[in-house]
Amino acid sequence: MIKFEINGRSVSVDADPKTPLLWAIRDEIGLTGTKFGCGIGMCGACTVHVGGRATRSCITAVADVEGTKITTIEGLDDQANHPVQEAWRNLRVPQCGYCQSGQIMQAAALLQDIPAPTDDDIDAVMTGNLCRCMTYPRIRQAVREAATAMTGAQNNG
Amino acid sequence: MLKNLFLGALAIGVTGAVGFGVYAYKSPIAAITSDQHGDFEPELVEKGRVLASAGYCATCHTASDGEPYAGNYAMQTGFGTLYSTNLTPAMETGIGSYSAEAFRRAMHEGVDREGRHLFPAFPYDHFTKMTDEDVDAIYAYIMTEVAPIETVQTPNELPFPLDQRFLQAGWKLLFADLGRFEPDSDHSEAWNRGAYLAEGLTHCGACHTPRNALGAEKTSEQYAGAQIDRWSAPALTAANASSVPWTASDFKSYLVKGTTNYHGVAAGPMGPVVHEGVRDLPEDDIDALAIYLADKVGATEDDPAQSEIVLASLRKNQPDPQYRRDLGARLYATACASCHYNTALISQGRPDLGINSATNLDTPNNLIHVILDGMNAPEGISGVVMPGFRDALSDTEITAIAAYLRDKRAGQPAWPNLAETVADLRVNGPAAH
Amino acid sequence: MGNKLLSRMTNSAKPSDMTRRGFLVSMTATGVAFGFPRASSAAMDPAAPDGIPVESVGDTFEPTLWYWIDSEGQVNVNIIRAEMGQHVGTAIARILADELEVAWEDVNITHVDSAEKWGTMVTGGSWSVWQSWPVYRQAGAAGRTALIEAAATMWGVDPADCTARDGAVSDGTNTITYAELVSAGLSRSFTEEEMKALPLKPHSELRLVGKDVTALDIENKINGKAIYGLDAKVDGMVYGVPMLPPTRLGSSVTSVDDSAAKSMKGYLQTLTLDDPSGTVPGWVVVLGETLMAAKWASQVIKVEWAAGDTAGVSEAEINDRSRALIADQTSGAILATETPDTTDAFSSAANVIEAEYTTQTVLHFQLEPVNATVFQNEDGIWEIHTGNQWQSLIVPTLSTALDVPADRIVMRTYMLGGGFGRRLNGDYAVPAALASKALGGKPVKLVFFREDDAQFDSPRSPSVQKLRMAFDTDNAVVGMEHHAAAGWPTGVVVPSFMPKGVNGEPYDPFAIDGADHWYSVGAHKVRAISNDLANKTFRPGWLRSVGPGWTNFAVESFMDEAAHQVEADPLEFRLRHLKAEGYNAGSAPNAVGGAARQAAVLQKVADMSGYGSADLPADTAIGIASTFGQARSMPTWTASAVQVHIDRQTGEIDVQKMWLAFDCGTVVDPDSALAQCEGAALWGLSMALYEGTKIENGNVADRNLGSYTPLRMIDTPEMEIAFVESTEVPVGLGEPGTTVIAPAIANAIYNATGARMRSLPIRPDDILAALNA
Repeated sequence: MIKFEINGRSVSVDADPKTPLLWAIRDEIGLTGTKFGCGIGMCGACTVHVGGRATRSCITAVADVEGTKITTIEGLDDQANHPVQEAWRNLRVPQCGYCQSGQIMQAAALLQDIPAPTDDDIDAVMTGNLCRCMTYPRIRQAVREAATAMTGAQNNG
Repeated sequence: MLKNLFLGALAIGVTGAVGFGVYAYKSPIAAITSDQHGDFEPELVEKGRVLASAGYCATCHTASDGEPYAGNYAMQTGFGTLYSTNLTPAMETGIGSYSAEAFRRAMHEGVDREGRHLFPAFPYDHFTKMTDEDVDAIYAYIMTEVAPIETVQTPNELPFPLDQRFLQAGWKLLFADLGRFEPDSDHSEAWNRGAYLAEGLTHCGACHTPRNALGAEKTSEQYAGAQIDRWSAPALTAANASSVPWTASDFKSYLVKGTTNYHGVAAGPMGPVVHEGVRDLPEDDIDALAIYLADKVGATEDDPAQSEIVLASLRKNQPDPQYRRDLGARLYATACASCHYNTALISQGRPDLGINSATNLDTPNNLIHVILDGMNAPEGISGVVMPGFRDALSDTEITAIAAYLRDKRAGQPAWPNLAETVADLRVNGPAAH
Repeated sequence: MGNKLLSRMTNSAKPSDMTRRGFLVSMTATGVAFGFPRASSAAMDPAAPDGIPVESVGDTFEPTLWYWIDSEGQVNVNIIRAEMGQHVGTAIARILADELEVAWEDVNITHVDSAEKWGTMVTGGSWSVWQSWPVYRQAGAAGRTALIEAAATMWGVDPADCTARDGAVSDGTNTITYAELVSAGLSRSFTEEEMKALPLKPHSELRLVGKDVTALDIENKINGKAIYGLDAKVDGMVYGVPMLPPTRLGSSVTSVDDSAAKSMKGYLQTLTLDDPSGTVPGWVVVLGETLMAAKWASQVIKVEWAAGDTAGVSEAEINDRSRALIADQTSGAILATETPDTTDAFSSAANVIEAEYTTQTVLHFQLEPVNATVFQNEDGIWEIHTGNQWQSLIVPTLSTALDVPADRIVMRTYMLGGGFGRRLNGDYAVPAALASKALGGKPVKLVFFREDDAQFDSPRSPSVQKLRMAFDTDNAVVGMEHHAAAGWPTGVVVPSFMPKGVNGEPYDPFAIDGADHWYSVGAHKVRAISNDLANKTFRPGWLRSVGPGWTNFAVESFMDEAAHQVEADPLEFRLRHLKAEGYNAGSAPNAVGGAARQAAVLQKVADMSGYGSADLPADTAIGIASTFGQARSMPTWTASAVQVHIDRQTGEIDVQKMWLAFDCGTVVDPDSALAQCEGAALWGLSMALYEGTKIENGNVADRNLGSYTPLRMIDTPEMEIAFVESTEVPVGLGEPGTTVIAPAIANAIYNATGARMRSLPIRPDDILAALNA
């Protein structure tokens, strides 16, 4: 049994240690908000946070996350009101929506590390997340707005 | 750590003299019974636990799927496979019959209770520098806290005559400088404490000092860097390949958290050194180690954050709209940059690969290992992982990424035989990783 | 009450309604550990956290098939279109809600199952809003009329003195809610004649159409709860992964050796599929208790095939075949343009120009790989759980494959993790069905890993086109020919859909639309040619904009070439030939205004971009292009201008800005309209510069992102998009933006450097080669 914490809940997963974390999360734990896209870590649809860092779960072995704290889209915020999600909602970013869990998790990690990203920063970090509906203009704008909201909130104490 | 030590037994080709036989003979020390292990003060046991951790005893004395300290950990060497011994207080197959004196002799002289010479895969050439008090503390810990487990010792897989233990005495005669640590009055107390720990208990040189053809550390090249398990243990001297010089505070961060801003993380064989080892030492001891190691690499205490090297590397982070031009650049932009990206400052956990040790070392091994197999939760920063791209990227693709980082980000001359190294490490990577 | 079907499909409180193998939705609520609560569902409400459609309370009023109102005033609108990013339910339901006069907050949507009563179910061609507009308006008006009549009768007043608004009827004195009217009992049906005579609201009275409302599917797409095909869970299911034969058609299995997998934990068995429908010949499916168990087993199972005869086919051979067919004047179908015979025009021409354009194979690479979960439920019905764009097309195929009547099959359409036309061809459900059939109806979830998805794609066919134009001595255009050869999606998958040309030959409109443009060019011959080698090597697919994605690259590049030939400005040259006369005058209801509306969007985008007047740096230029979207029968007037800078040393193309203008008639859902145009334009950019694979040894060469390189964030330029205000019939927007970008870029590259790029995608090396030629 491999033990870790997911969205604040302790879990034990009985899976082959080599099993990609993605499938443990989706098929064993039953959280299907995290998506499968390319399986080689190049589309970002499977992005979750491990220890607070954006991590491609499709190429991360479940055994490697023993003892870690994982956050998925379902656990980013209890009310789905993380500033990134609010920006996504306000700008109506999603089209088919399939990549958006990963986009949101990646953006949340970006803003944690770089609270006031330039457009170049957004390009550099978000280029790893593919969106076939091509919602990129809105993702870019939503990251900017989430950044403003988050830094504003900090400034206000 | 000591998995691929060359055995020095060949040195014994020079022997044959009766005198050697006399030298080589060690008498047994009487066995004790379990009720003679003695009662130890809790403070001593706790001290021993910390020391045992910092000496990584469990790392080499625990099989991958075995009980702690029960041995049978396989160490691949150039001459065959050695299996570590049972270090639990089990009476039959462990060290339950060792008196404190017998344990001390093993640690200081590399001789077991029955008088047999131990293979130098066991770094007694370092432990010999430890004080009796520290060795006794480890003894107290093992006898008190470690559960006795009877095991079946896996026989070593060594060809004759390398399996002849008495011949190890010759190696010892030639290469081992037995005796306790002697302080250097030219240096501070803290420095000397660091030196005592580094050269004794934590045996840094076992991996970071190159070895001669017979597997002994070259004392003249102490800490000059070496290859271990197909990883590169970087030089801990002025020759260290880091773009940004190490400082004492970097070493401290590295030894406690497994990471620094400017050098990379404790991965591969170094992972357990930090996370199952030295991080438990008292802060004064970590400071002492950091001071000693910083002196060895000739560190200053300048903050590199605004150094031209760091700033230049950060500028190279900027996204390149022409990223498709080069396969490595494109793959980096799509598979790596989301995490390995920094802006005005380098943040821990987003290693900057332009100045990272892995991209600046003379061999690409460390970089390739990490690309292939990533890092699990205990490596690097605790609780953070890096995915492995073994099943995601082809050899050609990994080679392209490594070549891109080496050339465009680190600005270093191309690694020779990079593609071959990628192919080799994919197939022959460390099983123990 | 009329929604018996719905209640059967929903999570009814009646246990008897739930089958033993009930469909289990994966719940994401915290506290639910390692299990999937039992809940059966068929249809999908994208706004519900578990996808389960709203249940009616008390009596319902269901004046048409398309919706009901219940005793609490809840409105449920049935949507037959698949949700794949268009927010299609939100667009369509508002058309109805607007006429019905209900508040948006009371509206729910249900994406329905594949029951026959829903008629033809297809989501493609940018048709959804266009086709739904008259139907749902009428349906809404019917309800409004009935509710007003009921209130008027109750009060003894003239219905003409009553108005409806926000789910209530008022005569100025009395007010009664729809909920109350439904509770009081309401039965009113309409004859077809009555339906047609129903009064529809004038545009000025529209309160939801054209206004900003909350898209009902978005919330679940930001909180992780939207349920896609890959999220389907059925009690007791096993996982399958396919092992694909060496050719798409014509291969057969000669041996299967799974001895190496026998000892692997979780490996179950390997099936060699027997497919009476011929959809997946030579297929092997590996089953496991977990997905990875099946996947890992498939990596050690040895299958040998007798390969079909396309095992060595290359893209170059396919294109050579296209060229040979184009050279053969007897091949193909000639479209019914105004003057299809160009013999005289060309024989008497003072000058003729011609050019060949090619486009490479393109993958859908929709982000959710294709998948399907199939089982036979306790009632003996085969349930197909998957995302799909054309249920009506695949159900008959599944019927053949399963050897059961079509009415014993029901499809549950999930959210689609991207459609783009891939899921018009539901072929991926067939192997899942066959695997379940082999297990006696046990649930099988068949998952394609990305490489399998790409290999099994129905890609956009490579195309070769030859265009010719004839000029008289005054440099006036007197004739044009467009010969286009490619694999035909409709030809291979649903040939009965193909109309016939003037020479009696059938043709795939989706592979030639766009060539029959609205420019007045004198005699105009459009010849559509089916590439038989392409058709048997792979399944040509409908891919976002389909034929207009390549025909317009040719037409609009060629219009620039023609303009330069006669030393005219390309904008002026186009406007001169966009005359709303005769064949191009346009007609009601869909094409009112004809070519004049295309000219208007073109002029608009030229103005927006500063085309022709902007003072630009060296090697920097704007190119323009204009199309009518998808088809003459449903023209979406579309134009773009793209500004590029070319690095002459490296050939790199810097796309600096894209401007687009659309006249799509009435804009029903402004935000989604904009989103669709943004996405479509960027697809156009991606296929113009970044996307292209090729057929190699009978299969697509690129199967994952290591070598297939679609547009990403960093490649996304600034865009400015405008819509022409209009009250005309709303036409489609999903694809038109795709059609104009490649030619605008090619024209911009020419304007910047003088290099004429006639092949897609345009790579930097191609530009360098052209510059150095």
